[in-house]
Amino acid sequence: MSSFRKLLIVDDEQDVCDFVKSFFAERNFQVFAALNAEEALTIAKSEKPEIVLLDIKMKGMDGVAVLKHMKDIDRNLKVIMVTALEDQDTIYEAYRLGACDYITKPLVLDHLVQSIEKNLKAV
Amino acid sequence: MTPQKKAPSWEKLQKWFLDQLATRPKDASAAVLGTEVAGPGIDAAGSLPRLNYQIFLEAASRTMIRFKKPEHLIKMIVRTIDEQLKVAHTAVLLYKEDKSSYILIDSKGEGGRKIPVGFIRLTSDNPLIDVFSEKHSYLVSETGILNYEDVVASLRNRDILERQPDLYDQLLAIKRQMDQIRASLCVPCYFKRELLGVLILGEKLSGEGFSREEMGFFVTLANDAAMAIANAQLIERLQQKVEEVNDLYLKEHSVFIHTAIALAAAIDARDPYTHGHTERVTTYCLSIAKELVGIPDAANYKNFLETLHIAALLHDVGKIGIPDHILNKNGRLTPEEYEEIKKHSAIGATILYPIKELGGVAKEVRAHQERYDGSGYPDGLKGGDIPLIARIIAVADAFDAITSNRPYRPRRDINEAIQEIKRNSGTQFDPIVVSAFLLAYEKGNILVNGDIRGDTLK
Repeated sequence: MSSFRKLLIVDDEQDVCDFVKSFFAERNFQVFAALNAEEALTIAKSEKPEIVLLDIKMKGMDGVAVLKHMKDIDRNLKVIMVTALEDQDTIYEAYRLGACDYITKPLVLDHLVQSIEKNLKAV
Repeated sequence: MTPQKKAPSWEKLQKWFLDQLATRPKDASAAVLGTEVAGPGIDAAGSLPRLNYQIFLEAASRTMIRFKKPEHLIKMIVRTIDEQLKVAHTAVLLYKEDKSSYILIDSKGEGGRKIPVGFIRLTSDNPLIDVFSEKHSYLVSETGILNYEDVVASLRNRDILERQPDLYDQLLAIKRQMDQIRASLCVPCYFKRELLGVLILGEKLSGEGFSREEMGFFVTLANDAAMAIANAQLIERLQQKVEEVNDLYLKEHSVFIHTAIALAAAIDARDPYTHGHTERVTTYCLSIAKELVGIPDAANYKNFLETLHIAALLHDVGKIGIPDHILNKNGRLTPEEYEEIKKHSAIGATILYPIKELGGVAKEVRAHQERYDGSGYPDGLKGGDIPLIARIIAVADAFDAITSNRPYRPRRDINEAIQEIKRNSGTQFDPIVVSAFLLAYEKGNILVNGDIRGDTLK
């Protein structure tokens, strides 16, 4: 069955990666995790995920810059930004660069699942 | 020695508590939750110290009351349950008003089972939160705990499926939520019937279910934790209130001072010969007062420096009631005119007395022309009967008069003025205030900028 959909989580917190991995693995996703920008871009190229959960505020890198590079790799890649920031300028910039949704932490798991499903349907 | 002897520090208590747990026999549930009550930590035979859960609770609740930061307490609970009860994971959701949600604030567990702190939140309408509201109490066991096994068992009940579809849907929604965070037990933390938080436990690694005693233990722990959390939140709110009141006080204080300054400026403006007088007297007064802060007379004032500041600014406010032709007379005053002028201190007090915020200095303003030996006006007060602040203003006032030009005489230099003050110590002035004045002068805190004052007079 090719019902496994590919999801990439980019977050510099190991706990978050582990949790998202195990959470979505139970929901028929093949989950890749990246702790930094390089890993994220390598996986984006090699695995061609359908959807990316991208943290904005990470140590030593800027999620918005990662988003830009990802869009250079694949213009149609669906990227959902996840962050504790609620900075309107950053949100605007992320949408301008082609992010498909924006979720603030702490997040409601149902909202995350709904956002992913909605955006995967839209493919 | 038993740990109850004196109130132990949190670290000590926690260490003791973990030691107790560490030395427990292999069968965790029997030891931790054993119902037999031996001595504190030592069984009847005096052999290996054992923990029984009454001791745990006693220690925990005594510590909890001391917590100011509920997060520390919650971390301790989570760590203890995780380490000692061998569950897949433990987490605590705590209500945060600013987010109107229950936020996951601590969690333990193996990779992937652990929910990252600050990552998720549950809104108040989440089935898992809603189930703990009163109207749904029938969904929760009589212990108050929501048990995954019970939910699954109810869902298998054909009766519910066929006859109570609404209940069935509700149970299904709860099961979904519990699945999401892999909860086996959800223990509510109530304070005064308000749901402050939820303790979440994963399944036991042994695969066994939770015993009745264990659940009773969690309920007690959760309720004690709720009380500690409520206390901590109360303290936090209280501190905020105190800060608000302080801010308000500072704001009001500055309003009074500015009112007094405006009044003082109005007085000064009417009398060109004493231009800047009030400002200088106030500065001298504050310099003298600095040397007197510790003395008993000063301590009698609720707020010595502030009262002095306002009194000094307003000491001549009564000049408003003196006719211009006398106040601005270019030359010596007749005895009658002088009698008129002498009324200003009493007039000042009459003006200030009815004003709630400024009335506190009326007595001081009235007495600022009194003399230490009792020969002053308006009441002929003597020595300690004259308020300290009035005695200070008297010295500052005289010093400024001597060093300022008058229509009928030029100003004198500082040395002469100092000598004059010294000479009148004990007669016109209080010797203590004079010593404070001299001390302030020696320290360079009494500055007279004669040139500027003299030239701007006319």
